Amino acid sequence: MTEAVRLDSITKRFPGVVANDDVTLSVERGTVHALLGENGAGKTTLMNVLYGLYEPTEGDVYVDGDGLTYDDDGAVADAPRRFDSPGDAIDAGVGMIHQHFMLVDPMTVAENITLGNEPRKWGGLAVDRDASREAVSELSKRYGFDVEPDARIEDVGVGVQQRVEILKALYRGAEVLILDEPTAVLTPQEVEDLFDVLEELTDAGKTVIFITHKLGEALEAADEVTVLRDGRNVGTVETADTTREELAELMVGREVMLETETPPATPGETALSVERVTALDDRDVVAVDDVSFSVREGEVFGIAGVDGNGQSELVEAVTGLHALEEGRVELAGRDVTDAARRERTRAGMAYIPEDRQDRGLVMDFDLTENGVLGSQHDAPFAERGRLDWDRAEGHAREIIDEYDVRPPDAGAEAKSLSGGNQQKFIVGREFSRDPSCIVASHPTRGVDIGSTEFIHDRLIDLRDEGRAVLLVSSKLDEVRGLSDRLAVMYRGRIVDVVDPDEVTEEQLGLMMAGERPEDVPRAERVVDAGDGGRVGSTDAATHTGDDGDAEVADD
Amino acid sequence: MTDADDGASDDSGPSRLPRDRLFDALDRLVAASATERLLISGSALLLSVAIGFLLILVAGRMTSCGSAAYSLFGVGFCYDPFLVYDSLFLGAFGDFLANPLNGQFATTISETTVLVFTGIAVAVAFKAGVFNIGGQGQLVFGALASALVVYGLSASVSGLVGTLVLVPVGLAVGAFVGGIWGAIPGALKAYADANEVITTIMLNFVATSFALYLASGPFKAPDSFANQTPTLPEYALFPQPLFPGRTDASLLALALAIAVAVGIAFLLRATSFGYDVRTSGIQPEAAEYGGVDAARTVVTSMALSGALAGIGGAVYVLTIAGNFQTGVPDYGFDGITVSILAGNNPVGAIAAALLFGVLKSGSIVVDVGTDVPPQLVGVLRGLIVLFVAMPEFFRMIGERVDVRDRFGGSRDAVATDGGEEA
Repeated sequence: MTEAVRLDSITKRFPGVVANDDVTLSVERGTVHALLGENGAGKTTLMNVLYGLYEPTEGDVYVDGDGLTYDDDGAVADAPRRFDSPGDAIDAGVGMIHQHFMLVDPMTVAENITLGNEPRKWGGLAVDRDASREAVSELSKRYGFDVEPDARIEDVGVGVQQRVEILKALYRGAEVLILDEPTAVLTPQEVEDLFDVLEELTDAGKTVIFITHKLGEALEAADEVTVLRDGRNVGTVETADTTREELAELMVGREVMLETETPPATPGETALSVERVTALDDRDVVAVDDVSFSVREGEVFGIAGVDGNGQSELVEAVTGLHALEEGRVELAGRDVTDAARRERTRAGMAYIPEDRQDRGLVMDFDLTENGVLGSQHDAPFAERGRLDWDRAEGHAREIIDEYDVRPPDAGAEAKSLSGGNQQKFIVGREFSRDPSCIVASHPTRGVDIGSTEFIHDRLIDLRDEGRAVLLVSSKLDEVRGLSDRLAVMYRGRIVDVVDPDEVTEEQLGLMMAGERPEDVPRAERVVDAGDGGRVGSTDAATHTGDDGDAEVADD
Repeated sequence: MTDADDGASDDSGPSRLPRDRLFDALDRLVAASATERLLISGSALLLSVAIGFLLILVAGRMTSCGSAAYSLFGVGFCYDPFLVYDSLFLGAFGDFLANPLNGQFATTISETTVLVFTGIAVAVAFKAGVFNIGGQGQLVFGALASALVVYGLSASVSGLVGTLVLVPVGLAVGAFVGGIWGAIPGALKAYADANEVITTIMLNFVATSFALYLASGPFKAPDSFANQTPTLPEYALFPQPLFPGRTDASLLALALAIAVAVGIAFLLRATSFGYDVRTSGIQPEAAEYGGVDAARTVVTSMALSGALAGIGGAVYVLTIAGNFQTGVPDYGFDGITVSILAGNNPVGAIAAALLFGVLKSGSIVVDVGTDVPPQLVGVLRGLIVLFVAMPEFFRMIGERVDVRDRFGGSRDAVATDGGEEA
């Protein structure tokens, strides 16, 4: 085989985080290679290393669009590349098409493609528009792209814009094309067209790497798939020899199965109810699509799914950080759909956010100050507008002691703590609110095993004290181990609500890919125990989920 | 800055990117301790004086004069750099040891007082993550409103009672009008997503032009050729118990300025409101998570910032000017530099304002006492401010903007793919 790209033992460290850990990736010339993994697995970081945006901490990058050369021993004979910037990478024939297009809307397709490398005339004084138009139509014809060089970017669709981005890279001489989540913004039909384009490209000898977290797409479009998990390469497989189940297993991983002792739940009244909620993401694409469920006191309701299927938006909609398009959120029977974040906290909702460094902690504040985040206007920390810092410090110390936060120093700035300790502090702060409802989004992400167990035990304790827990996690063993009922989300909808003790991992994997395997154990056992009124809404969600998935299955 | 980065530099050796080195320097600056920052500012001051020294010599060679004011190695120079810097720094204090309450020191005090207000005005907004460049407009409107209302009321009260009533009323009116003028760009930012830098700059023009119209038309002092409002009676001004014969410097006003600065520091540090302000200034996402109403915080902190600038305007009228005159000095803009110099610390703004006051007052002494042209004095002042402010300015940039994220790198731990940014 002839490699066009080889990343040799790439390690990329950021302070406190290893984004890529000794990743070796080899991409054969003239193939489509999918880089599959959950969000945060290190896919984009790895590609940014290849594209010259990041400098690897360790490891070497080898690129040659025509194929690397080897010495007699079979080792790579080319010199490793050092890209100081994307400009260097482009010169070496690497092009990257970002998730968000970088096009000038009022300019034409041809102008955008040639921007920065325009053909000149009159001794370089003017842009030769005819030549650039010609070059673009020639290029577009060669790869079978259906692109009109004189159309304005603002007038063409997203699919065409993406093709313009690809043409731009080709015009600059790219032999290796990196596509970052190229299907995120496309309709199913446009996705098909994109895959045809990729085929044309590889037929012409180009090499394509595309980043995705959707296994179906990886299987459909790629020749080879490399799966990244937690920054490591956990396996490269040929799509011809693999199955969805195998890929799902690689992606999610089975590592340490944390068996939490979960005595059966004794659910009470409905504490949190979400009815027909629809929410848009930042790009105004529907992220949460008509989702309904309810969480009862003394119950853990889990939501599983591959990251990016609407869980983040759903959680933020429930906690008051994201606007709803439609629907209704009730907390203990009270409509909190329009309630501000602070009101929801006061009404007894604790929230462990997905992103601890953006949301959960103020990184420049010390732990004392962070300990009052969310309660800065409430007793016992605030009295008539004044903050009681002594009490706040005592509070921070209690959290530090109980949750074994290191270093045990209330005066330490949040940013000086490791990720796991930051998370423990957040968990401690939120649990200490004495909440009636806990929303936990990836509560143990980046936390060491011991602390994970501790957080799990505390969650179950809180559940047994009669509090409602909504748990979102992409760790399958976590949601399965803790949940009393488990919903699986795919493309903004709940595929089904199942009994986590009965469902198999394979079935879950398929559901996370949007399929509905036969005879999944629905969570009827638990549903039956609930009060009649709410069961209706849960069932409604399940049925709406059915319809949506029928469509998905068709394409 | 961290082990990971050091590791990278070891591996790549001398070919380390200059860009990364710059980022490391920025990180180093952000991480500087309070003592280090003082040392940095001190060295910057010395460096600016050294450069200014050379400039004075060069300028002195390029002019012709009867007799050399200063000679070095037999070469004569028209200006004496020692005398210039002596006048610039110590001139502001006059003959301080013989008579601490001399006229020159009074000028220093009065300038400092107004600058403390405009400095903390900018600092408060900056703490909330809003860049208020509109201090000048807020100050102008505060000054105008204060001058008009106090003049209107001055006929009905007089004497000590007049002072006790009119000064607080003048301050309150200045605060109110300045506050409203600051809240407008705040509301535009919060509810219409209008960039506050643009709107505050534009509102500066609106304020100065409208004030010019009012002071040259409807409210013009009838017997005056200049565009100004009627002069306030002496009992309507800030009392100046310690500077006999001066109406422009009031230690009471300075005490008020210091008290307000300390009060603002307390507000930011020890109250729930201050917590909201600081959180949304440093990390808006976390503020939102913590239940802070971002829009409300922006409007309130801009109103507070405008009110402080407005008080500055009222103090200017009630001490230095004695009425409202068009062509108000650039206290509002100087406030930005004062705030940067103080690292946006309200108490630090007192010291920074004093430096500004000293330089302003000292340059008058240089103008009077030497042949050095006022333009050159302006250059010397500018050098000092530029050199002292820049390290703090870069610190602020380093804290606020994660430059590495913008240009393809990251300082904060990035566990996610970061695809959104790239």
